[in-house]
Amino acid sequence: MSTILLEVATPDKGEVFSKEIGMLIVRSICGELGILPKHARLMTELVPHAMRIKDGGAESQLFVGGGFMEVTPDKITILADSAEKPEEIDTERARAAMNRAQERIENFKQSHDEQIDIGRAEAALARAKARLLVKGEHIG
Amino acid sequence: MANLQNIRRRIRSVKNIQKITNAMDMIARSRFNAARDALLSNMPYVSKTKEIMKRVMSQMRGQEYEHPFVKTREDLIASHTNGDGKFLFIVIAADKGLAGSFTSNVFKSAHDTIEYDGTDIINSVENEDDSENFHKKNFDALKDVVPMRSSNSKQGKQYTATGGMARANAHPSGAANSGANLSVAREYHDADYVDGVELITVGRKATTHFSQRGYNIIKSFSGISERPNYKYAREIADLVLERFKTGEIIDVTLIYTQFKSAISCIPSSVTLLPIITDDFVQGGENLKEEYIYEPDVVSILNDFLPHRLATRIYGAMLHSAASELSSRMNAMSNATDNAQELVGRLNLFYNKVRQAGITNEINEIVGGANALE
Repeated sequence: MSTILLEVATPDKGEVFSKEIGMLIVRSICGELGILPKHARLMTELVPHAMRIKDGGAESQLFVGGGFMEVTPDKITILADSAEKPEEIDTERARAAMNRAQERIENFKQSHDEQIDIGRAEAALARAKARLLVKGEHIG
Repeated sequence: MANLQNIRRRIRSVKNIQKITNAMDMIARSRFNAARDALLSNMPYVSKTKEIMKRVMSQMRGQEYEHPFVKTREDLIASHTNGDGKFLFIVIAADKGLAGSFTSNVFKSAHDTIEYDGTDIINSVENEDDSENFHKKNFDALKDVVPMRSSNSKQGKQYTATGGMARANAHPSGAANSGANLSVAREYHDADYVDGVELITVGRKATTHFSQRGYNIIKSFSGISERPNYKYAREIADLVLERFKTGEIIDVTLIYTQFKSAISCIPSSVTLLPIITDDFVQGGENLKEEYIYEPDVVSILNDFLPHRLATRIYGAMLHSAASELSSRMNAMSNATDNAQELVGRLNLFYNKVRQAGITNEINEIVGGANALE
């Protein structure tokens, strides 16, 4: 089976992932994308989510906190703002972050407080949910 | 004869200074380790961004699509002929001194770059693989362009500047040493050359250096040189992009110190904007395949190019921080060694003087005893 090289780099942790894989499923700002080997050249922006990496029969997940993806026929390069493997994720922290973000969004809905940065809160919520998803916890 | 008391005092003061330099050495060493780790883990990201940039840009040329940051050299010349935009330089140096020649090397390189007039022999930097150092190429391309509004354009100023540089070169001792560059800078101080240049400085030393020489500093950062933060890089990038979009500035060059190893830090300069596609085509392989952009090329580039800019500025800050700390480390360990040597010499001198005094006293006693007989 042919494979494609996946490389994930972040600004503060260097190369987080570098391995030949069978298929990658990511969520871009336009929707889900499945990348197989020999894919056409592509460039897109990613949202915070849990990437699915398929290698043979096995499937693993990797959290990315947004970034850019470039695809060439034999290589996928992901420039992630942050990226974490399941074992690196602190569930408690992610859950706390999710609660905080939800609270802030609720407050905003009720009071329309100008002080609350709703975009930031929503991004934080998406990140926290994706982190929990990588850990195997499905939330709304 | 030297006074024993004085020598003792001197030894004590040298020892105290040694203690201070030793402490500074150790502080710099531990901070340097942190800075180097930060740099090393950032490097793959920056180089990957660069690769993607190269691939995307190399097939950007010849497309009908236009983006304000991406230009061909012809466009650059055209915009230069019509406009009177300024040149912006971002200088990254240190907050504190006592880092050996680190700061002065940055300034020397900065003056070489800022006052480059096409006649300069060689910059101290020879980056064989740096396909992105366009400032000189851009300048060479613009050299013979006569702008329409010559009264207040950058080109006119640069001609005056050339005169200044020529005089400095004609000066017998002005053979491209830092002294000559500084004197040239002072000459510019009166000329309106500096009006065509804007600076963003990072580091207190850079701010004072360039403000004393009358440069127009539009923004300066201090207190972040040793531990850079992505937030500030983003701030600089946003400021630069805003001014670039409005046409106030037409060329952005970044001057920083590249960290090669703990004993080798090289001042370098790279052009950030505009992105000249000609150079990518020459450098990279010419790709026939086109990219698919999701959602479309404009929105991707609108997000990616500012991101790339901030990444590069952040990377340069990390390079500069590691260089600064390694320079300080070297300077301070040299200072400690020198102090040690000085203490040794002073001790020897002290003992000689003391011995001379004792010998003298014995002589006097012997002389006195002989006289009594």
